[in-house]
Amino acid sequence: MSDIAAVRTDNVWKVFQHDGMSVEAVRGVTITIERGEFVVLAGPSGSGKTTLLNLCGGLTRPSRGGVWIDGEDLTVMRERDLARLRLERVGFVFQDYNLLPVLTAEENAEFTLLLRGMADADRHQRVRDIFEAVGIAGLEDRRPPKLSGGQQQRVAVARAVVGEPALVLADEPTANLDRASSDALLDLMTDLNQQRGTTFVFATHDPRLMERARRLIHLVDGAIDTDDRRA
Amino acid sequence: MNGRLWLVPGLAIRNLRRQARRSLLTALAMVLGVAVLAFARTLGDGAHEDWVDAGVRLGSGHIAMQAPRFQASRDLKDRLSGDARARSTAWLAEPRVAERVVLTASRLEVQGLASSAASAVPIMITGVDPVVEAEFSQLSDRVVEGRYLADGDRLHAFVGTRLAARLELKVGSRLVLSAQDGSGDIASQLVRVAGIFRTGLPEADAGIVHIPLSTAQEWLGVGDAVTTIAVLLESGWVADDVLARLADRADDDPDVAAVGWRQAMPELDAAIRIDDWGDYIFNFVLYGIITLAIVNTVLMSVVYRTREFGVLQALGLTKGETAAVVVTEGMVLTAISGIVGLVLGLAVTWVFFRHGMDYSGMMEGEFEFGGVVMDPVIIPTFRWPQVGRSLGVIAVVGMLASLYPAYRATRIDVAEATKFET
Repeated sequence: MSDIAAVRTDNVWKVFQHDGMSVEAVRGVTITIERGEFVVLAGPSGSGKTTLLNLCGGLTRPSRGGVWIDGEDLTVMRERDLARLRLERVGFVFQDYNLLPVLTAEENAEFTLLLRGMADADRHQRVRDIFEAVGIAGLEDRRPPKLSGGQQQRVAVARAVVGEPALVLADEPTANLDRASSDALLDLMTDLNQQRGTTFVFATHDPRLMERARRLIHLVDGAIDTDDRRA
Repeated sequence: MNGRLWLVPGLAIRNLRRQARRSLLTALAMVLGVAVLAFARTLGDGAHEDWVDAGVRLGSGHIAMQAPRFQASRDLKDRLSGDARARSTAWLAEPRVAERVVLTASRLEVQGLASSAASAVPIMITGVDPVVEAEFSQLSDRVVEGRYLADGDRLHAFVGTRLAARLELKVGSRLVLSAQDGSGDIASQLVRVAGIFRTGLPEADAGIVHIPLSTAQEWLGVGDAVTTIAVLLESGWVADDVLARLADRADDDPDVAAVGWRQAMPELDAAIRIDDWGDYIFNFVLYGIITLAIVNTVLMSVVYRTREFGVLQALGLTKGETAAVVVTEGMVLTAISGIVGLVLGLAVTWVFFRHGMDYSGMMEGEFEFGGVVMDPVIIPTFRWPQVGRSLGVIAVVGMLASLYPAYRATRIDVAEATKFET
């Protein structure tokens, strides 16, 4: 199992039709991200970072090429199986948190556990532990509008990692946070990566996040420009 | 799996609560719509029951036991013999039938001529048991002069106002009734007017004469035979069931037929069917408006929450579960407001249940429809099967109204929906 990559893409393309024109958002990208990596996808706006992240998470299907998570080919999966795979193996952190406003912080965080059918007691314990770990213990009953941006993003991170997925995909997770909140969040994700071996892939412009990356993939015009591994 | 099972309705109810004002407005429209429909239905059923009751009491009951060809021939030779009459009476006494029967009236009907010094007019002469008929027929309630026939009367007649006018009759006047008797010969009988009635129906007021049954049997020489045993049931709603039982018996008897009021009074049956169609169209339009209101609310809610549905699917909710959330929202909204509307409609029905709804201010004189004179006071009729049907329709409306929004929710592009928007 351990020699299977967390994510692999093979000559993957994503072409959008926009106003009758074809826009190549991702062009022939081939990457392999091993388990436990802490990877940053960087590049200017429109370079294809978010689209590549979505392809890696099975949120969108490639126009050409292949994508594998834990060795499973996403391109041949039915929608239902893809939903199952996202639920069990992938965690998402979105730029604007995307918490569900009708649910409390705790309910947002436990959502994927509910979908997995985890028993109440186990679920609540897991959420309490993760809230403690990400520093938002005591905010369980608050709804998202009653939380600060930093607190909401921590809830989003808690939701992404509470199910202990093999892979966490985060799109500009620090973009809406102040410096202190950003640093705290990055410390948290670095710790989760080091302590739990969770694989993180970020799409970001944030130089502080790039500094922490142990692998920095630079995209230009939908293709890989550089792929640097750091010690 | 408990948590997952509760997830769909839980999300649906919370979403409805979040859009409380919109949900409430839609629910209010539904409550009013369903209440109007429920009340209109009970009022419509009440009106139909009134019409049927008026028709069958003036005519041959909910069910008429007759000789097989009498309905078409109206000829005295197609009469029920004493034996056939006894068999019919026995069937009517069977438990599953008798429990529905309120009254039976034996009649001897013959087409004939009524004449006086002033004129001669074709009429339908009906020999009746005065005591039973006074309870059965509406004619005894429509006396404008004199009285209805009574036990012990022999050579008395009860005539309509139009006939009285044509023949220049008053209470106590004499007239001659002529008809073909049981052996085919023309026979005449002198009778005296005991009373005059007015139904408001020109054909009844001009063409019906009641005389005592024993007088008619003796005059026409038919022994104890009758042409019709008119059966009055507890309600028109049970007529089809009782008719089926009696028809089943009569199928094996060559001398007896069971005729339902729909067959005996096709014009009334047609009038009720036409009125029913009017109701259906009204219901269809109102339910259509309700459906569109729900579609609008649920669809707006889906469009408003495109991002949320995208997030839910990104996190692992299947498209089927997404659709289930939306359908549940529509169903919950429909069920709650539908049931409240139904209760409200039935509460209004209850208010009018005792004294009825009086339309007399809207009617000038008598209003005839389908061969009966409408009572201007309509008593709404409550029936459980109708409530069951209404609930069924409400459930179907909720389901149908949610399908398109649910479909839209499943077609959301997850990557597009979760994209950051500046």
